[in-house]
This record gives sequence, C-alpha cells and structure tokens, in this order.
Amino acid sequence: MRTLDRIVGLLDALTAWIGRAFSWLTLFMVLMTFANVVLRYVFGLSIVAAYETVVYAFGIVLTGVAGWTLLTDQHVRIDVFYGRMSGRAQAWVNVVGTVIFLVPLLYVVASRSWGYVGRSWKMRETSNEIAGLDYLYVLKSFMLVFVVVLAIQGLAFFLRNLRVLILGGEIRGPAPGNLPAPPPGEDMAGAAQPERGRP
Amino acid sequence: MIAEFLELALFLSIFVLILFGFPVAFTLAGTALAFAVLGDWLGVFQLRQLNFLPQRIFAIMSNEVLIAAPMFIFMGLVLERSRIAADLLTSMAKLFRGMRGGLALSVVVVGMLMAASTGIVGATVVTMGLIALPVMLRAGYDPRLATGTICASGTLGQVIPPSIVLVFLGDVLTYANQQANLKSGNFAGKSVGVGDLFAGSLIPGLVLVGLYALYIMIVAWARPAMAPVPPPTAEEAAMTPGARLRLLAHGLLPPGILIVAVLGSILSGIATPTEAAGVGAVGALMLAAMRARPGFAPVLRAGVAAALGLMVINGFFDLLILRDDFSGLERVMLRLAFALTGLVAVAVLAACWALHSARQLAPVVQQTGLITAMIFAVLVGASLFALVFRGLGGEETVHHMLESLPGGLTGAMIFVMLLMFVMGFFLDFLEIIFILVPIVGPILILMGAGPVWLGVMIAVNLQTSFLTPPFGFALFFLRGAAPASVRTMDIYRGVLPFIGLQLVGLALIALFPALATWLPDYLFSK
Repeated sequence: MRTLDRIVGLLDALTAWIGRAFSWLTLFMVLMTFANVVLRYVFGLSIVAAYETVVYAFGIVLTGVAGWTLLTDQHVRIDVFYGRMSGRAQAWVNVVGTVIFLVPLLYVVASRSWGYVGRSWKMRETSNEIAGLDYLYVLKSFMLVFVVVLAIQGLAFFLRNLRVLILGGEIRGPAPGNLPAPPPGEDMAGAAQPERGRP
Repeated sequence: MIAEFLELALFLSIFVLILFGFPVAFTLAGTALAFAVLGDWLGVFQLRQLNFLPQRIFAIMSNEVLIAAPMFIFMGLVLERSRIAADLLTSMAKLFRGMRGGLALSVVVVGMLMAASTGIVGATVVTMGLIALPVMLRAGYDPRLATGTICASGTLGQVIPPSIVLVFLGDVLTYANQQANLKSGNFAGKSVGVGDLFAGSLIPGLVLVGLYALYIMIVAWARPAMAPVPPPTAEEAAMTPGARLRLLAHGLLPPGILIVAVLGSILSGIATPTEAAGVGAVGALMLAAMRARPGFAPVLRAGVAAALGLMVINGFFDLLILRDDFSGLERVMLRLAFALTGLVAVAVLAACWALHSARQLAPVVQQTGLITAMIFAVLVGASLFALVFRGLGGEETVHHMLESLPGGLTGAMIFVMLLMFVMGFFLDFLEIIFILVPIVGPILILMGAGPVWLGVMIAVNLQTSFLTPPFGFALFFLRGAAPASVRTMDIYRGVLPFIGLQLVGLALIALFPALATWLPDYLFSK
C-alpha cells in the first residue's frame, strides 16, 4: 500500500509540475497580445508569427493543464447531490466514472488523433498564413499531450479513490505542494475563489 | 423502435448521469461514446463519424475568439485580488449613505461598474456580501432588500460586457448563424461576432440597472423602515465637497479607466474583443501593481503617461513604419514613439515583477490556467456530444419539435427560455451554452430570431436562473459571505422581487428587440 501511495504521490507531483509550468503561458498570452496591439495600432505593424504565438500558447494551456485541473478538482461537477454524498459514495462515483467515462474518452481521442497528428508531422504542416509559425504539427501534437496528462492524473485519481473504497476514510485532496499558489494574505479571495471556475 | 429515440435517450441520459457529480466534461463525452457504439450496433450511427473529432478539437485549440476568454478571466482575477471593488464600494457607501436608499443604490452602481470592467460574477457577489452587507445591516436595512440587491447587482457581470458568458455565447451564435444562413440559402447573410453581442447587451444591461434602481427608490420611499437613513458620522459631516469628490475619484478612476480601455476600444471598433481583453488584462496588472507595491507607482505612472502620449502622437502623426518617405518632424515623432513604447514595455514588466514579488501573480496565472483547461475539457465533451447527437439525427428531431410548438417563433422561444431557466438550476452556463445553444440556436435563427437578440435574451435568462432559489449559484456565493444572522430564507425571499424585475427586463427585450439590436447596428453597420 505504501508503494501505491508513493506512486500516486509521484504522479500527482508530476501533474502539478506540468500544469503549473504551462499555466504561465497565460501571462505570455496577455503580454504578447498587448505587444501586438501596440505594434499594430501605433506602428501599423502586424507580425503574423507574433500573433500566432498567442494562438499556440492558448492551445498549449488548454491541453497541457487538463491533468492538473483534475488533480485540483476544478473540472466542473454538478454537486447538487455529489456535495452531500459520503466520502465512500463520492469515491464510487469517481472510480466508476473514470472507468466508464474518462477512459473511453481518452481512448477515442488518442486513437482518432494519432493518425491526424501523424499526417501533420509527416508533411511538417505549416501555418495557413504566409509568414506564420511553421510548427502546426507541434501544436496539433498537444492533442496527444492532453491525453497523456489526463491519463497520468486519471490513473492517480483512480487509485486515490480506489484506496478510499478499499480502506475507507475520506478522499485525500492533493498535497499542498500540488495546489495552485495560495491567495495572498488576509484578503477574501479564499471565499471568492471562483468556485469551479464560474466567472 | 429504440433506434428512433436514441438521440432523445442520449439527451436525457446525460442529464441524469451528470447529476451523479462526476466531472461534466467526461460524463458528456463518455455517455456520447456509449450511445455512438449503441447507435452503430443498431445501424443508425457509424463510428467512422468519430474521425471528425480531431478536427473539432483542433478547431477549439485554434479558435481565435475563445482566446479572449482566458485573458478576460486573467483580468478579472487580477482585479478581484486588487480590492478595487472594495475601495469603490467603501467610498460610494460613505458618500451616499445619507440618501434615502443610498446604500442599496451604491451597491447597484458598484455592481454595474464591476460588471463593465471584469465580468467575473462570483467575486463581485462575495465582495459586496462581505463589505456592503454588514454596513447595510448596521444601518438598519431590511436583510431581504440588502441581500436581494447584492445578488442581483453582483450577477450583472454576466449581462454587461465584457462578460465571459457573452464571449462563449458569441462564439456559439456565430456558428449557429452561419448554419442558419447556409440552410436558408442566404449566403450574403450578416455575420455576427462577440463584438456585436457585447454592443447588443449593453443597453439591456443598463435597463436592468435602471429597473433595480427604480425598485429600490420606490421601496425606500414607500417603506422607509426597510431602508433607513443612518445619521451621518462625525467624520462624514466634516467632509468638504472637495474631499467627497476626491474620495469618489479615488474609487471611480481605476474601473473607469478599464471600462474606457476595454469597452471603448471594442465598441468604437478599434480593437477586437480578443485584443481588448489583452489590453484590459495589462491595465488590470498595472492597477493592481500600484496597489500591491506603491513603491513602483512612479514607474507605472510613467508607463501610463507614455501610453497616453503614444495615443496622442498616433492621433496627429502617421507612424506607419513600413515606408521610407518620412518628413523631418515625422522622424522625430517616430523616435519619440519608440522611446515611449520602450517606457510602456518597462512599466508593464515592472508591474509583473511588482505583483510577482507581492505573491499575487502566480495565483492569478495558475487559476487562469486551471479554469481555461476546465473550459477546454467541457468543450471537448460538448463537441463529442454534438457529433453523436447530430449523427443520430437529433437536430431534425429538435427542429420538428420546436416547429410543432404553437405560436411559431414566440412559442419556440418561450419553450427554449423555460428549458434554459430550469437547466440553469443544475448546470453551469458553460454546459448550457455549449450543449443546448448549438442545437436550438440555428433553428431559432431560421425561424426568425435575430442572433444578437437571441444571445441577449439567453444571457439575461441565465442571469435570472442563477438568482433563483433554491439552486441559484449567486445565492450560494452570498450565503458563504453573509453573516450568520442573515437567514437563508431572507436571501431567498430577498431575491424574489429582483427575479420579478428580471422578468420585466426579459419581457421588455422580447417586446422591443431594438433594445438589443439598435446599438450594434448603429456602431457596426458603417
């Protein structure tokens, strides 16, 4: 059991590390968009490649952070009933859901996009725009990254919940090191945390 | 027999299954896949159709409209942590508490301004619940009036642009509109974008603000006991008009600048919503940095001044640099513009550094990443669902059903609005927008609904749904922030009149579509 916990811990740490690293691309998107706006409206310069870096960053954040979102339980759930269930019932939902919902999804995305991404690599697919970024095949590969990060965390998630089913107890949340940075100081952000991402 | 109703069974199964609480994105996808296999087995679906999935996913990843969403979220999170709403609320309350119903009116105005500068709803409700509610209760306000005002004003962010709800809705409706145009053979049909929806929802949003304010004034006048006027404190009595003005400016300036920068640039057609989101996010970074690290203020102010200077120079001189016929003065101005641009860049980086050193940047960045990935997962699930639902012939079924309702478009709209209203009790706006709107949108537009009008109706309807007890999520947010002395029943009963006002607003927009369509037509028809 201790080995299992260690494996889950490792998977969690890996997930959090990947998610946290990719998250910084959101700041890049903001700064790059701003720079593009200044260049376009002041100097009449529009650099297609610079603009496309924002699109790439967006595609990478979308896919690359998905595992961390599962780890921190931020994938939106309808918690009208789930929120009132016992820890054991919640673990049942998670274990069964992973097997019948998440695994088929990952299988289908992986199997269908393997050829799609492969074709893109074979012809080293480039941007549709002249002077765009010529790494479209890299961006498309992030579809598979989505599958991989979700598979890594999906496995940890499954084991974590299975542990509750077998040994009882509550579902342990991620270790503090795997959570997003805590809100600073005394402010009320804790309560204002956009619960499950509801803007 | 079963095969004929497979699409309806899919729809119903999803609504039963997501109630178990497994993440919606995966439940959607998994259920759709199960039905795809079943449909294939029964001969009404071909698994080959799933080969379209990678293209759909990649279309989401490279969707230029959706790029605006993480940046608006980023902006909202920065503002949420910078206490701008709190400051505004405090100064407004100090100024207007002497007026009859003044505190409640302050809440409405702050709700409107925060809605126009961010669009993150939960944060506004919580902030006002923590700051304004205790003040109102101490002043002797009826808890029902106080909580209702806060819930309604705090959810305005969904309707008043720039709102994230409207970004997604705009994206979905753009596609729905294209489909409707294709089907009706109207190849020259007007395209509709997020900018149109932003412009379209501005007046209806203000109408709602007006309705709230009117209601509060009437209540305060007819039942003074519900909204008593507290005697001014010594500090307030001693305030000079100049001091009052400064206080107001201190609170109003930051959101004011952001509103002008973001909404102004979109509505005047200078910037796309995506560009405006980037500019707004940088603006929010600067404002937050000034508050978090006052030591950096000189650099940041210089940066803002440089940005304004750039705009001025740009207004008078042609700075397009891809040419070589510069006059002497233009050459000087170009150099100046380079210098100013450098200054802006330094200030923006300084703002990032200041926030980072105040430990405020990482939480924002990480939260934005998490929310963005969450939304993507829902989109993947929803597009898989749409693929299977369409493949099973669901679109025709819905089409026939909506057309067979009595009353034509009106009947269909009432049905769809009621359906969304009820779905809003259980579902997030994301699922409603990505599951339901793509199915019913093209049909309603074909039946004669204007896309902008439809979008505004949906946005106001969803806002109402999120206010409605017992499931409305605004109520949960306020419950979390309100003191224990406020009973949950007070909150439930407090929002009832505001739900009535929402319905009045909806009816007004339904009867006078020009409320939604006039501004975008006026702004963007040139």
